[in-house]
Amino acid sequence: MAIGTHGESSVNPPVPARGASRDGGPGLSGLAQVATKIRDAVESVIEGKPRAVRLALTVLLAEGHLLIEDVPGVGKTMLAKALARSIDCSVRRVQFTPDLLPGDITGVSAYNQELREFEFKPGPVFANLVVGDEVNRASPKTQSALLECMEERQVTVDGTTYPLEPPFMVIATQNPVEMEGTYPLPEAQRDRFTARISMGYPDPSAELEMLDVHGQSSPLDRLTPVADAHDVRALIDVVRRVHVAPGVRQYAVDLITATRRHPDLRLGASPRATLQLVRAARAYAALDDRDYVVPDDLQALAVPVLAHRLLPTAEAQVERRMPEQVVAALVDRLPVPGPGR
Amino acid sequence: MRVRLTIVAAMATLLSSIGLYPLFEGTGWVWSGSGAILVVAVAGALSRRFRLPSAAGPVVALAALLLYFTVRYAPGQALLGIVPTPGSLDRLRELAGDGWTAANRYAAPVPPGAGIELLATLGIAAVAVMVDLLAVRLRRAAPAGLPLLALYSVPAAIREESLSWVAFALGAAGFLGLLLADSREQVGSWGRAVSGRRLTDEAPGERPRARTLMATGRRLGLAAVTIAVTVPTVVPGVHPRGPLALGGGGGQGGSQTVTTPDPMVSLKRELTRQSDQVVLTYRTDDPAPDYLRLYALDRFDGDRWIYSPLQSSPRDRVAGRNLPSPPGLLTARSRAVTTRISVADRVRNMTFLPAPYAPSTVSIEGDWRVDGPSLMIYSLRESAAGRDYTVTSVRTEPSPDQLARAGSPGLEVMHQHTRLPADIPPQLRRLADQVTAGARSPYEQALKLQRWFTETGGFVYDTTTTAPRGTSDLVDFLQGSKRGYCEQFAASMAMMARMLGIPARVAMGYTSGSRGTGDEWVVRSRDAHAWPELYFEGAGWMRFEPTPSGPTGQGSATVPSYTREDADGEQRTQQGEQTADSPSPSGAEESPTPGRGPDRRTDNGDTSAAPDLEAGSENGPPVGWIAAVPLVLLILAAPMAARLLARRRRWSQVAVPRPAPGGRPGPASGGRVPYGPPPATDPAGAAHAAWRELRADAIDHGLTWRAADSPRATARRLAESLEPGSPAVAALERIARAEERARYAPAPGPADTLREDVRTVREAFGAAVNRRARWRARLAPPSTMESFRKTGSRALDVLDRLNATRLRAFLHRLTRRP
Repeated sequence: MAIGTHGESSVNPPVPARGASRDGGPGLSGLAQVATKIRDAVESVIEGKPRAVRLALTVLLAEGHLLIEDVPGVGKTMLAKALARSIDCSVRRVQFTPDLLPGDITGVSAYNQELREFEFKPGPVFANLVVGDEVNRASPKTQSALLECMEERQVTVDGTTYPLEPPFMVIATQNPVEMEGTYPLPEAQRDRFTARISMGYPDPSAELEMLDVHGQSSPLDRLTPVADAHDVRALIDVVRRVHVAPGVRQYAVDLITATRRHPDLRLGASPRATLQLVRAARAYAALDDRDYVVPDDLQALAVPVLAHRLLPTAEAQVERRMPEQVVAALVDRLPVPGPGR
Repeated sequence: MRVRLTIVAAMATLLSSIGLYPLFEGTGWVWSGSGAILVVAVAGALSRRFRLPSAAGPVVALAALLLYFTVRYAPGQALLGIVPTPGSLDRLRELAGDGWTAANRYAAPVPPGAGIELLATLGIAAVAVMVDLLAVRLRRAAPAGLPLLALYSVPAAIREESLSWVAFALGAAGFLGLLLADSREQVGSWGRAVSGRRLTDEAPGERPRARTLMATGRRLGLAAVTIAVTVPTVVPGVHPRGPLALGGGGGQGGSQTVTTPDPMVSLKRELTRQSDQVVLTYRTDDPAPDYLRLYALDRFDGDRWIYSPLQSSPRDRVAGRNLPSPPGLLTARSRAVTTRISVADRVRNMTFLPAPYAPSTVSIEGDWRVDGPSLMIYSLRESAAGRDYTVTSVRTEPSPDQLARAGSPGLEVMHQHTRLPADIPPQLRRLADQVTAGARSPYEQALKLQRWFTETGGFVYDTTTTAPRGTSDLVDFLQGSKRGYCEQFAASMAMMARMLGIPARVAMGYTSGSRGTGDEWVVRSRDAHAWPELYFEGAGWMRFEPTPSGPTGQGSATVPSYTREDADGEQRTQQGEQTADSPSPSGAEESPTPGRGPDRRTDNGDTSAAPDLEAGSENGPPVGWIAAVPLVLLILAAPMAARLLARRRRWSQVAVPRPAPGGRPGPASGGRVPYGPPPATDPAGAAHAAWRELRADAIDHGLTWRAADSPRATARRLAESLEPGSPAVAALERIARAEERARYAPAPGPADTLREDVRTVREAFGAAVNRRARWRARLAPPSTMESFRKTGSRALDVLDRLNATRLRAFLHRLTRRP
């Protein structure tokens, strides 16, 4: 199939996506093929982190945004860039700094001397993939400008609204909030990210291999796109049609409700979280070449999708019972939906 | 101060004291006892509040109790109605004395009265003080069960009969509550671990440890009480009545079993005393009054004659009504006799009324009741001492030939009154046959027996012999010493009559006594007597007199006219026999003879059959146990059978199309399925069935099954216990996939091989676990217990919730209040 050749701008819509619009089966397997290609491409850069890669891809297909949180130097930006690079679409990267202004993100209207009128100069947010590096270094004002675009998928400058082209995905990286010189994202804004993942240190063998590969040249440079924006749009379309059984929906709701009642949590998950959890589960299932969601998908996604939205109580915080553990415990205890719908 | 523990201890005492209910009439003692418990609890709490030493606790409690008793029972004599004075103490002592007398005089339930109430309260208060001291002050909740048990065992000891299970359950629950509260306090005193959690009841997260511990404790406790209450009712022979019979008969007001001191013992005592004390006097319109009967002993247990337990209920009251008609009296001539009896004041423990047989009406004050079959008149709490009453009786006067022609008694009478223990020595039977040889009817047999005892047998009346214990003593009396008093005579004759197939029982009471001044008859202590009563159809129970009378025997004993062997009587009998034999062979003979002839033979048959009957019921428990063995086996086999049935049902419900032998399974929609259930619903149903089977198999083999695991996660975990790469793992995978698709996918997957797969996996499970688990899975699969357990745990959950929310809130409120 012609998917691999989409390095250059493609006029023809990709075959699998087309098939997908007719019936679920071929579209699904096509999606799996494309997804595997993207995954392979990214994993050729990020060694030994298949789960992080898969989650990033899931978020992309779920039309969400990804927050990568970890200590410096573990490859957050590398993952974002690799993902961006392997898909042939417009990619912009913004390095967030304390002096970054909202206009630096959204774009500004500048007065054009020649045309004698104001002209909108689109900011870096006008791209399919926006990599926001160290998003928690910018001032809250700037952060909120970005987050507004994420939710609305449009930019309003001087009264004019400019829609953003789908697919639109923000991959933000941030250092853990305890580190110096950071403005932690408020919970309302964290809620806009579909998932938060952390990279974690690579295991020693992967690190050794990394030395070999990265020693000569950056593998990022050798990365060629394996899909384009069009493919991604088609894939998103397939994902939307993945079946979610009523029992599974109930399970998702139960899970969310449980976080709201848990004694260790001051703030439970929002309805938006429910929506995004199910959407992500669809993408996760599709990546698994399945046209229906199983509880395992929700279980796998519960921590990345939910944990960053929850606020622990002061007591839980003191005793280091983190939301991640709470969610994991809930998943471990909640009965899966049985037969009978 | 330990407020919670104090309250729980008081509640435990209160609950246990409920067990005293059968001892008293009325409920006054409950309030009085609750008051005392409250006083003790408050006194205990105060003494702890002011940190008095341990030893001071009971002292304070006792002082408070003294005040309480003064206020309640002797406020008139006390200073300001509360401060005890010598006068008030005297009053209390007096009341206690009254209570003591009443307690000794009446059988339970004791009628209400201040004295009784005082005694009951005193007992409850003593237990409350001890429980408070042990459980709250010394923190020894377990030993505190001893005084509680004492409280419970008082009625059990006095009444011989067990208490109702409700009372037991309440008492046990109180004690368990005490134990729980104590251990809770103990856990609480360890302090909180560094786990400050919000206490939200609905939180699905972990609850504080103490609470889980409590829940566990409650469950264990509940299970223990349930077992203690139910098991005795199920095990044969432990509980005399049906399962959970609350107080028995269930008639108006419930009935109870009546017990009195052994009548034989008191008889012997009275006889040997040879006292001339007047027991009663009476006037009668009968020129030759009959004996006054107290008891009818209808059971011979091998040791002694006793009466069958009386089931008493308020229905049996004699006041203002006719008593049941005497059993068996149909055709014989009878006349009404009125007797006015006054019992002497000093008579003790006479709870049965002396009356000539067969009483038809009794006019007496108080709650006197009649036992229908035997016509014994008794009271549960009154004594006959000092009473005057009038009895109308039916005196039967059959003619000897009427008795001689009596037909064979009804089966019920026969069955009940010819029973003998199995171990009656055979020589006694031979003796009975020998003595009565030549007799042609039961009546003649009875006459021959009576004559043998009184005249021909060479028996000597001797009150110095010891009371007979068991059949060996009777054998000795009949064949060896031949010395005895009325008890031996009556008992032996009744026994021998039974051997001959004549229904017989031993009656006890007084002879008619001696004529006093005017038309008054006087019955004295030495007139106490025992005599046999034999049953003749048509006449009913007839008295016989085997005891020698006159100066060398029982002085006032008389031989009934229908047995008298004077010339007149002899003539009459002979006449009767003659008339029976010769003159009217057509009339008199034909009708009775068919009854009589076979009668004789059945008599003989019965003498041998009666012990057999008895043997059957004597061996009752072993027979019961033998019957219990298959029952136990059945119960043991039940889980296995249930498992097999469940498996069959599951598969038959879905009727999975099995792969045709040799053929490939066709597509689900294809028509190649040989026998066709609707394929539309089939695969999903089959997948569910396979999954449930898998689950049951996993549980049976002791593998964990978690509700929070999805099918594929479950399969992954189960596969860990199987050999990797084996066909079972693949089968497991297939089952999980099928179930997953059936549950979550828009269309279920194929289900052709599932049944085979389940079998493969089951075998693999069996190979993977140790031998014990394997056999357990085969013989007693735990999965069958699940639904039972689920119901139980749901019930326990309700209990937990009840306790956890309501009770906690209640206690909380109480403890917050200073």
